[in-house]
Amino acid sequence: MAKGVRIENIWKIFPPKVVALKNINVEIKPGEFFVILGPSGSGKTTLLRIIAGLEVPTRGRVSIGDKVVVDADKGMFIEPRDRNIGMVFQNWALYPHMSAYDNIAFPLKLKKLPKEEINKRVKEVAEALGIADLLNRKPGHMSGGQQQRVAVARALVKQPDVLLLDEPFSNLDARIRVTAREFVKEIQKKLGITTILVTHDQADAFAVGDRVMVLRNGEVQQMGIPEELYDQPVNVFIANFIGDPPMNIFKLPTTHELLKKIGVDDEIINKHKEVYIGIRPDEAIALEPKEEGHLKGTVIIIEYVGSRKYAKIDLGNGLSIRALLECRADNGDTVSIRLVKVHVFSETGERITTIRF
Amino acid sequence: MKKLYRFRRTGLIGSPFKILILNIIAWIIGILWITPFIGIFMTSIRPFREVVLYGWWSLSPFTFTLKNYIDALFNPMFSLGRGLLNSFIIAIPSTLIPITIAALTAYGFARFSLPIKKYLFATILFLMAVPQQMTIIPIFFLLKDLHLLNTYLGLILVHSSWGIPWITFFLRNYFSLLPAELEEAARVDGASDFQVFRIVVLPLAIPGLISAAVLQFAWVWNDFFFALMLIFDPNKMVVTQMLPRLKGQYQVDWGLLSSGSIIAMLAPLLIYGFFNKYYMRGFRGWAMKR
Ligand SMILES: Nc1ncnc2c1ncn2[C@@H]1O[C@H](COP(=O)(O)OP(=O)(O)OP(=O)(O)O)[C@@H](O)[C@H]1O
Ligand SMILES: [Mg+2]
Repeated sequence: MAKGVRIENIWKIFPPKVVALKNINVEIKPGEFFVILGPSGSGKTTLLRIIAGLEVPTRGRVSIGDKVVVDADKGMFIEPRDRNIGMVFQNWALYPHMSAYDNIAFPLKLKKLPKEEINKRVKEVAEALGIADLLNRKPGHMSGGQQQRVAVARALVKQPDVLLLDEPFSNLDARIRVTAREFVKEIQKKLGITTILVTHDQADAFAVGDRVMVLRNGEVQQMGIPEELYDQPVNVFIANFIGDPPMNIFKLPTTHELLKKIGVDDEIINKHKEVYIGIRPDEAIALEPKEEGHLKGTVIIIEYVGSRKYAKIDLGNGLSIRALLECRADNGDTVSIRLVKVHVFSETGERITTIRF
Repeated sequence: MKKLYRFRRTGLIGSPFKILILNIIAWIIGILWITPFIGIFMTSIRPFREVVLYGWWSLSPFTFTLKNYIDALFNPMFSLGRGLLNSFIIAIPSTLIPITIAALTAYGFARFSLPIKKYLFATILFLMAVPQQMTIIPIFFLLKDLHLLNTYLGLILVHSSWGIPWITFFLRNYFSLLPAELEEAARVDGASDFQVFRIVVLPLAIPGLISAAVLQFAWVWNDFFFALMLIFDPNKMVVTQMLPRLKGQYQVDWGLLSSGSIIAMLAPLLIYGFFNKYYMRGFRGWAMKR
C-alpha cells in the first residue's frame, strides 16, 4: 500500500564544509507524485539519496509510512534494502551483464520468491510497460527509452512503498521525453504509488508533479501545486526559474516612471528604495498601437515559440520587455502593451504584492 | 550502458607521423623480444651439432628433429613431465587463493570506509617493495616450524601471500573504476553487501580478475627462487628447478636445455593466448573513465 514520506529538519553537510541541504521539512502524502525541482548543485540528488538510504543525513529524520528509517540525532539507520523502495537512477544503472529479464527479476530473486511467482510478476510488469518482447536482450542492445522502461520495471516489480526517480528523462531526446513522462505519470496514477521525482527541468516537473518543491543551494524556496509556483512565486529566484520563456524582471528605483504607469502602491514606493518588477511574457500582450494599453514601445525582434509569437519590445530609457504578440507587427513598428499581471518584489527578492488588471 | 565505459583518448592517435614513430618503436621492442625466443626454438628442433657448427640462424643445412623434446620429456634421470605436473599443482592454487582473498580485500578498500584504511593501504604498498631475498630466511624458519618445508602446501602458501598485496592493489583500482550506481542500485534492490559483491561487482570485474590471474600464474610458474629454497625432494620439484638439471654434467647440452625451456614456457604462453582478450581489456580498464 502506498505510504507517505515525512522529512524533518534534514541537514546534509559534506565534510569539510559543503552544505548540501539546509533544514528541509516536507510531508509527502501517500500516493502523491512529488517533484523536487532545482538547478544543478541544489541538493536534489542528495535529498533523494537520503530518502533511499544511500546517504546519511548530518541531522534530521526521515520516516516512510509510520516507520522511522533514519534519525541522525538518535543515530538510527535502516539499510536501503529494508526500506522497500524502488529507485530509478539518472543513467538507469541497469546491470550490463544481465538480460532485461534478469535485471527486472533481480529484486525478486533476492527476496527468494518461488520461480513461477518471479516469472509471473516480471511478465506482468513487462507487459504493463510494453517491454515484454525485449526481455532477452542485454541493456547494451537497447535504446535509451527501452532501458528507461526496464529500469522503471525493475523499480516497480517488487511493489515498493515509495518510488524514487532521479532525472529519469534527462538522457532521452525531446520526443521520447514527452511520451516517457506521460507513461510514468500514467503508471503512477494506475498503481497509486507514492513517487518522488528529481529534475532540473521545469517542463518535466509540471508535466508529472502533483506538487513541486523548488530547491536552491540546499534550501527550499517554495512548495506547492504547479499553478501556485507559476502564479504566486514567493521570490525573484522562483519567478525567474519557473516559466518559459522566462519572466521579464526589472530592477528599478522606486522613483522610476514605469512604477507609476503600472500603478504600484504609494505605500510600497515610500517604503522601498528599489524593487524588482516581474512580468511574464504571457501576461504582457502586445496589441495594435490604437488599442488601449499600459505601456508603449517599438518591436525589436520577433520570435516563434511553438505556435506562439513573442516580441522583444523596446520601452525606451534602456528597458526592453518580451511580450506575447497578438497583432500584426514588424520590426520597428510601435505596439501597445496590455498587462495582465505584475509581480513586485522587494530589494531582497521577496514578493511584496501582485497587481492584477 | 555503453556510455559508462567510454575510453579515454590516448592522445597519440591522430597524426600519421606519430603513428609511424609508434610503429617503429613497437617493432623494435617486438624484435628484441622475439629474437631470443626464435633462437631457442631453432636450437631445440635441430641436432645440436648443426647449431654449433653453423649457428641457429643459418637455414642450410637444416635438419628437423624432435629428439631433443623426447629426450627432455622422457629423461630417466629427471622427469620434466613430473616437473610440469608439480608446477601445475603449485601454480593453480597459488593463483586462485590470492585472487579470492585479494578480491575481497580490494573491494573493502575500494568501497568501505575504515578508520585506518589509508595507513593500512600504504603499508601494503610499502611491503610490496620488500625484496624476496630479505624475506626468505624468516619464511624458511616459519615453514620449518610449521612442518611445511618441502611440501606443496608450504610453497603454495608462500606464493599466495606474496601475491595478495599486489593483486589487492591492482583490483582495488579496478573496482573503484566500476560505476558505483550499479552497486547502489543493487543495494536498493535488496542485496546485502556480499551479494552486491558476488552478483554485481565480480561479474563486471572479470577482465580485471583474469588479468591479475594471468600475471600471478606466470609469476608463480616462472619462480625459481622460492622453489629452490623451499622444495628439495626431486619428486616435488617444479619445472623451473628441473630445467637446470637438463644442462648435463660436463658439457652443456643446449639442444636439451632449449627444448626443455620451450616446454616450460608453453603453459604461461597458452594461458596468455587463451585469455588474451580479457587480459587486454583488464589493462585497458585502467584507462577507463568513470
Ligand atoms: N559525495 C559528495 N561529497 C562532497 N560534496 C558532494 C557530494 N555529493 C554532492 N556534493 C555536493 O552537494 C551539493 C548538492 O549536490 P547534488 O548532487 O545533490 O546536486 P543536484 O541538485 O542533484 O545537482 P545536479 O542537477 O547537477 O544533479 C553540490 O554542491 C555537490 O557538489
Ligand atoms: Mg543530481
